[in-house]
Parts: sequence; C-alpha cells; structure tokens
Amino acid sequence: MSAAATPAIDAVAYRARQRAWLAENLPPHWRADAVDYRPPSLDEAKAWEATLHREGFWGIAWPRDYGGHGLTLREHLISNQEIGRLPMPESQNSIGKELAGPIILAIATEEQKRRYLPAILEMREIWCQGFSEPEAGSDLAGLRTRATRDGAAWRINGQKVWTSGAHRAQRCLLLARTGTMEERHKGLSLFALKLDQPGVTVRPLRQITGDAEYCEVFFDNALVEPEDALGEPAKGWAAAVRVLEVERGTNRMYRGWRFEEQLRHLVTTCRADPALARLLEDSSIRQRIAQVQVDIEVLKRLVEQTVEVLVGGGSIGGHGSLSKQHWSEAHQRFAALAVELLEQAPYPASPEVEAAQRRFRKAYLQSRAQTIYAGTTEIQLGIIADRILKLPRGEAR
Amino acid sequence: MSEHSDIAAEIARTAQRVVAECDGLDTASVAARLGEAGLLGVLAPEAVGGLGLPLSAVAPVVEVAEAGLLAFPLVETLLAARLLAETQPDLAAALVAGEAVLTIAGAGSLSPGVSGVVGRAPLGTAARWLLAPLGEGAVLLALDAPGVTVAEDPGFDLERPAARVSVSGATPAATIPAAAWATLRADALLLRAAGALGAAGHCMDRAIEHLTGRRQFGRPLVTMQGLRFSLARQKIALEGARHALEHALALAGQDPQGESVPRLVARATCAEAAPAVIESAIQLHGGMGFTWDLGLHRQLRRAKEAAAALDAVAARAALAGRLEEAWAL
Repeated sequence: MSAAATPAIDAVAYRARQRAWLAENLPPHWRADAVDYRPPSLDEAKAWEATLHREGFWGIAWPRDYGGHGLTLREHLISNQEIGRLPMPESQNSIGKELAGPIILAIATEEQKRRYLPAILEMREIWCQGFSEPEAGSDLAGLRTRATRDGAAWRINGQKVWTSGAHRAQRCLLLARTGTMEERHKGLSLFALKLDQPGVTVRPLRQITGDAEYCEVFFDNALVEPEDALGEPAKGWAAAVRVLEVERGTNRMYRGWRFEEQLRHLVTTCRADPALARLLEDSSIRQRIAQVQVDIEVLKRLVEQTVEVLVGGGSIGGHGSLSKQHWSEAHQRFAALAVELLEQAPYPASPEVEAAQRRFRKAYLQSRAQTIYAGTTEIQLGIIADRILKLPRGEAR
Repeated sequence: MSEHSDIAAEIARTAQRVVAECDGLDTASVAARLGEAGLLGVLAPEAVGGLGLPLSAVAPVVEVAEAGLLAFPLVETLLAARLLAETQPDLAAALVAGEAVLTIAGAGSLSPGVSGVVGRAPLGTAARWLLAPLGEGAVLLALDAPGVTVAEDPGFDLERPAARVSVSGATPAATIPAAAWATLRADALLLRAAGALGAAGHCMDRAIEHLTGRRQFGRPLVTMQGLRFSLARQKIALEGARHALEHALALAGQDPQGESVPRLVARATCAEAAPAVIESAIQLHGGMGFTWDLGLHRQLRRAKEAAAALDAVAARAALAGRLEEAWAL
C-alpha cells in the first residue's frame, strides 16, 4: 500500500462511479439482507472478486506493475466506504489482499512481487496466514514450527492452528523458526509456502457458528523452494509485526460503513414489524441503538485518521490497536442488541424478520471471535499500554 | 484548517504559559492577562481586535484552561465576543481586551417581560455582563442594572462558583436573535467538550506519573497488568472521543444550529469519556486520590458540569430521531 503521491483524482466522480458499478452488478441474492439470501459458491466468489479487481475495487493502492491500480489509500478508503454500504459477500482472499500483499510489497524481491501479487488480485492464488500454533497463540514468539535448510530450499515441520481459509488456499504466509527456541522472536523467518504438496495436511475445525472456516495445518517435511522465502532469514518477526499492524489498522476498512448498513437493516426490519416497531419506541432501546451509531461514527473517524496518517507518510504503529479494540467490542454490543430485539418478534415471523434473525444470529456468534482474532483484547490492551501510552515495563513483567 | 494549524499551535503554547500565570489572580486580573496575551479574541473578528479563527483553533486553548483549572468564564467570553462583534462592537472589543467580564446563564430562562430566575452562570458575582436565555433567543443584561440581583449559588465547580441571577422587569442592553443564540450554545458545547477532554488527558497523565513513581509489592505499580489495562481502556475512550470531537469541530461551520450527527456524536462521547477517565485517575491514586489536596476532584467537578451540559442521553435521543428520519420506510 504505497503512499506515494499520485495525481489527485476527482473524489466525487470516483465515488459515484464505484457506487454505480456496485449497485448495478451485485447479484441481489448475494445481499446478506435479502430474504432469499444465498451466498456465492467458492467458484462464484472467485469470479466475482476477480471482476471486482478488474473494475477497480481491489489492489487500488498497489503499483500498476503488480496488477494494482496505482492510486492511493484515499481511493482505497472511498471504495471501501462504498463496499461497506452494501451487504456484500466478504472476500475469500482478504488474507492475500490485505495481509500478504502489503508484506510482499514491503519485503519481497521484484521477481516475487511480479509472481505473487497479480495472482492474488486475479484470485488464482488464495492465501492463508500460518502464524498461530497450539503452543504459541498470543505468545507468538514461542512458536515451534521449524524450517531447516535442504540445500537451497527449506523443509518445514510442525503445526499451525486457527488458520482461516487454509482449506481453500493455495499459499500460506508461514512464520517458522529458523533459529533456536531461546532466540524467541529473533529466530523466525517468513515463507510463501505452497499448500498443494504431499507434506501438508489441512483439517478444518468447526466453529461456534457451525461453519468450518478455520483449520489446523500440519507440515511433515513440507518443501519451500528457495524462491518462496520472504525477506531476509531471521527477520520474520519484524515483518510479522508489520503484518499485524496492517491487519489491525487497515484491513477490511469498510467495517464502519458495513456496521452502519447492518444497523439500517436491523432498524428498518424492526420498523416494518408491528411488535418490533413498538420496541423501537422504548427510550432505553433508542439509547442503545443511538450508542451503536455513536460507536460506528467513532470507528469511521479512527479509520479515516489512519488513512490520513498513512497517506501523509506516517506509520500505523500501535494505533491500529485502538480501532481494532474499539470496533471489536462495539460490534459485539451491536450484535447482542440486534439478537435481543429480533428474538422478540411474534411467531411465526415474516420472511423479512426471519431473514434478519438468521443474519444477526450468525453475526452475534461470529462477533465472539472478533475480540480473539488479530490479537486478543488482552494483547491489544498490552500494545496500547506499551506502545501508545509508553508505560515503563519494569523488570518483573 | 491546515492554514490555521501553525497559528493554532502557537496559540496553544501561549495558553499553556498564560494559564499557569493566572493561578491565584482575581477575575479582573485574569481577564487582563488573557486579553493581553490575545487569547480572548481567537474567534472574534479583527474589527474588534480578534483573530477571526474557526472554532477548531480555539479548542486547544480551552483544553489547556480546563487542565490548568483556569478561574475564568473562557468559553463564554470567546463566544460572546464573536456574537456581539457586529451589534455591540465596543463591548466585544472590551471582552477581547480583557477589560470586561461577561458570563452566560447555563440554566433557566427569562419570561418576555425580562423577568425570572436564571442560574449556573460561572463567576456571576465577578461579572459585569450576562447573557440569559429568553424565548428562543437571549438578552444581554448589565448585572448592575436596576431589577437585577446576583447571588452566589455554587454547583460542582470550585474555581468558577456559579451565580443565580434574579431579574425583575430589567431593560436589556441587547436582544440576541434565535439563530445566533443557537449557534453560540451549540459551539459552547463543543468547546466545553474540548475542555473536558483536556482535563481528562491531564488527569490521566497525572495517574501514569503516580503509578510510575510509586513502588508497591516490590515493583513500580505501573508494571502491573491490571493497571496497564485500565489505562489502555481509558486511552481508547479518550482517543475515540477526541476524534469524534475533532470531526465535529471541523464541520461546525456547516451546522450552525447544532443538530448535526457529528455534533451529537461528539457530545455523547465526550460527556461519557471525560468524567470516566478522571474518575479512573482518582481511583489509580488510591486513598490519596480522595484527598482534597491532590486536587483531581477539581478537574472532575468541572468535567461533570460540562458533561451535564453536553447531556449524552439527550444527544443519543436526538441521534435516534435522526436515524429514523434517515431510514424512514
């Protein structure tokens, strides 16, 4: 995500174009607020996302040499605001586009950039993120998956867990130990491992939503060719920290606008139902709905601020933790309120209310993950204390 | 806004110094010192000796004033000087110069006969002028005019004890139309929000300083995770409110009536974040936090008054109404 200056484009015309394209091209039954909602299959999603890329909704701030559109994070934000306004399917490759991509741009060789980046945007390669392990979750520096030299190549042995989307991915952004356990974060390296090989076993894990979106990944002498090692050996930690900062600060930038779309869906659904409409007149319910809106507005401001800092050449640093912590808890409160309201509908409910119930039941369960992934609440609070407030850590911590 | 940001930074630095110098001075001397430093005319037009800057430029001054417990009706003076510049240029110029003291009644309103009781007028007993609500607008009264009685009626604030003003058939020095009055009230809320956040940030810094210096259980308290997490949560609330406020300040000119979503969001966030952060700072000082002499209660008292004016409940109620309008079926 280069912040390099490009000629200013007309933001109003750009937004209008993006909005109009989405309005015309998003299949109605893919809208999560549709009564006949039916999410796209993986193949449909791949084709849709490849089209979205061609139409300028992905790779916006990536250089044209690597399949990007050569614009800035400002246009990225505008597009994300328009994506957020519609209840669109989530990307099947957001790890590739929003985590692997930025890190590749930052540390990969020219040859690697040309090989990996267009494949991500064109949906030829879906990526997953191989960081967490059974014995190294929040304490990532304790990870054990080992990469050992095999001539110029590497052999990987160990296990990753909570690896979202590994079952559909072709590549894994793998953090593995090339040094000793005692070296902690100094002995880690990054790789772009190919998943389709005999030494890799992927096993989906069923989550509280009922879906099996994340996976265990086992490596038994899996091969990484020399050209798939990313950045300098033993510098993997610094790169990983950077990935995580990006993850917290910029990924799914549309969130605030999507939450607003969800709130609109909730409120309009309730208003159309006589019993739920009465609940909306209750002053304590109105206070809670308004607080959701307040939380959403604050999230938008935090995201806009991040974009301004990055466009101005600054780095996100620990500040992504402020917005990550804010949105994750805010969305949990929102989803809980939505369920609380919708479950009050008289039975049998209208198809519209039932559709909303399905959507928000899932959103509620899904929201429980939001204070866990991308760094738990406790990790975020630690980062804010260490890196934003710069509180002395002391000897005994 | 960026064209003003250098000036704004310079003004904030001046405010830092001058607010400290004002400690312990009487109201007239504080006014003179602030006026001399050019801090009272930031919003007023150049014609009355001011700088004519937007609201966002003066927010840092109010932050510093609230953190430093300035004993002066600063927000009232800044906004009244802007309000009165056209119709009462002499008074506006005197306010800018720090040669006159004006306050604003924060509660109650007068009847059409210019009679009744208004209150919550900070430093009312030291002021010469009062703006008091009447109908949808307001009137300007000289506090020494016939039919006007001023008595101290303090609330929370210790440095600016409030006054109650009883008015019986007084003759106003000026009448303020509804639109101008609404703008003043809306902008006053944003500046008070800025002040409350400034006070909260100051108290949080004090708490961090205390926890860093104090050793218990054989180590500095600040190294304990529970306390670090508490501070981190305060920081999230403070930064969220700050961004909401900056957005509202930047757009204030587009919404002179004060009904916009950004203003309502700023009111709700600042009213809740600021007192909570100060309460937490008191908690983190332990028993010392509850003492009179530590003094954090002074910022808390002022922030609670600001929060009452900002009225998070009313702001959210208004927001809910706005959502209904926006999403009408």
